[in-house]
Amino acid sequence: MSPRTREQVVRLCKLLAGPEEYRWLDRIGVRDLGLGYDRFGFEKESAALAYLFLRLVYKHWFRVESEGHHNIPRVGRCILVGNHGGLLPWDASMMCVDALCRLHPPRMVRAIVDHFVATLPFLNVIFARCGQVIGARQNFRELLQGEELILVFPEGTKGIGKPYWDRYRLRPFRVGFVEMALQYKSPIVPVSFIGPDDQAPIVVSFDGVSQSLGVPFVPVTPTFPWLGLAGLLPYPVKYRIQYGEPIHFYREYGKDAALDPRLVEELASRVREKVQDMVDAGLKRRTGVFV
Amino acid sequence: MGANGEREPKKNVLLTGATGTIGRQVAQTLYHDPNVGRLVCVARDSEPYYFHDYDRIRFQFKQLDILKARELHNFVLSALFREASIDTVVHLAFVNRPRDQGLATHTLNVEGTKNLLYKCIEIGHIRKFVFQSSDAVYKLRPSNPALLDEEADLNFDHDASQYVKDRVDADMICRSQLLNPGVRIIILRPSSIIGRNVHSRWNALLENHRLIFKVLGFDPMICPIHANDVIRAIQHAVHRDVQGVFNITGLDWAPLSTFIRLAGANRLSLPALALRAVNGLQQALRLTQYDYDDQPEAMRHACLLDTTRARDVLGFTPQYHIKFA
Repeated sequence: MSPRTREQVVRLCKLLAGPEEYRWLDRIGVRDLGLGYDRFGFEKESAALAYLFLRLVYKHWFRVESEGHHNIPRVGRCILVGNHGGLLPWDASMMCVDALCRLHPPRMVRAIVDHFVATLPFLNVIFARCGQVIGARQNFRELLQGEELILVFPEGTKGIGKPYWDRYRLRPFRVGFVEMALQYKSPIVPVSFIGPDDQAPIVVSFDGVSQSLGVPFVPVTPTFPWLGLAGLLPYPVKYRIQYGEPIHFYREYGKDAALDPRLVEELASRVREKVQDMVDAGLKRRTGVFV
Repeated sequence: MGANGEREPKKNVLLTGATGTIGRQVAQTLYHDPNVGRLVCVARDSEPYYFHDYDRIRFQFKQLDILKARELHNFVLSALFREASIDTVVHLAFVNRPRDQGLATHTLNVEGTKNLLYKCIEIGHIRKFVFQSSDAVYKLRPSNPALLDEEADLNFDHDASQYVKDRVDADMICRSQLLNPGVRIIILRPSSIIGRNVHSRWNALLENHRLIFKVLGFDPMICPIHANDVIRAIQHAVHRDVQGVFNITGLDWAPLSTFIRLAGANRLSLPALALRAVNGLQQALRLTQYDYDDQPEAMRHACLLDTTRARDVLGFTPQYHIKFA
């Protein structure tokens, strides 16, 4: 953004959010390298604008309820590990809004996204400006060293592409986040999302076609592709986010444990089980998909 | 001063490509550097006017084609070379203009580098060989981390442009001698250089245009480097007792669109196919030096360099912000 556009965006944000909420938003930290961006392309004004739009979705579409915020550290590095579902990553964006409006002080969640996002026109720019980061080991390391709050979905795209009858059944976890947590002494906070797996029930997915299109999967839902892009609109399910108690593997195992692949896999399984338990408990507690 | 406080001996430097834009400035910087003893510049062109006033005791210019093995051999045996007691070679002779591609360019870029390096190793008294490579050697892809370190994958694609292939070949030739005990090899990989008359990817795109085209839907983060910082980095490389590969980058990090704005130009985003056609037409009409096909991925994916090694080992940090005339 040019300085003039930035000024206009700030004015618009103040108008939409009100001066008090804007002051709150203005506390988002960005490691500005001089021209208003950090190394990953994150820009505060773009994030603030996206937040104001997503806040409407958060409040009125998904009517998000969340609990357990005390488990997220106010400052310092932390890895949030959640279950993934629902075709499009609305779960990540709702968590970003939740962390901005419910944490004191507000913290920017840096979600790790699959690298195929970098190939998508427009979306790659929007994601980068709003603070999302391509999943690469060096990026992860850089974020941890920058004491950031990181969100990972270790199921990867297999999580959001799972069929409806497998909803809320977690796929195997990738293990990279455990290695990083051990190496950089970061707590892991398990997070359960109830709602995303119901927002776009995938009936069937064509893997063969997806490879030629360069996307992870081509889904068929009751509305997509029949209604075109409008068919991607998520159902207005109710979202429930719960943050579990932090897990400090590094206190128990030390830095060198990251070099033991079997142990790392076991620890990743433990986190997966914890998230699965939280999801199961959340499903038992909820009274309906839309209420 | 050395580690024990004693004065370090002055470097006697041989500089190739001294008539290029960067080469000329490096020659001027090294000539005025009190820690450089003698400076011998070589180039395929005859001696340009701007070297005429230099003190001939400290400075010599020799017209030389490093491709010609016999000419190079005679030069290292010559009284000029012997008396200068050259101990450091800075190799900048490299054709960067995308328009000047072909076998002759490839031969100079790759065979020239090989000839010179092997001759330096053979004659035995060259202690340091500094080669200016480029960030074009890196393979750009969506899964890359935001910052590419010196160990990042190089672009070995068989369909890469000749410029990229030459850069990678020359870089690899120098890298293959990193463990040579006789010569300390320093390979500098600067990001795209911004400066007057410099031939580099972003400089070609950004200089002197009212309207700049970019790929629709993409706006990669870039971090070009000021020409003055490249010269400083080369100067560091001459004096520091180090070896290895070093990424060098500038002070300003921003998306491509921001640099287009800073250059005072308007931007128009086009689909990749249309951009290729428009760029081809611009080149045919000699309206731009920028060649989209040179490294098309650079318009989509970030190419930011991790400069931790340059800061910690080479002791180099950039100082100059990018400014457009």
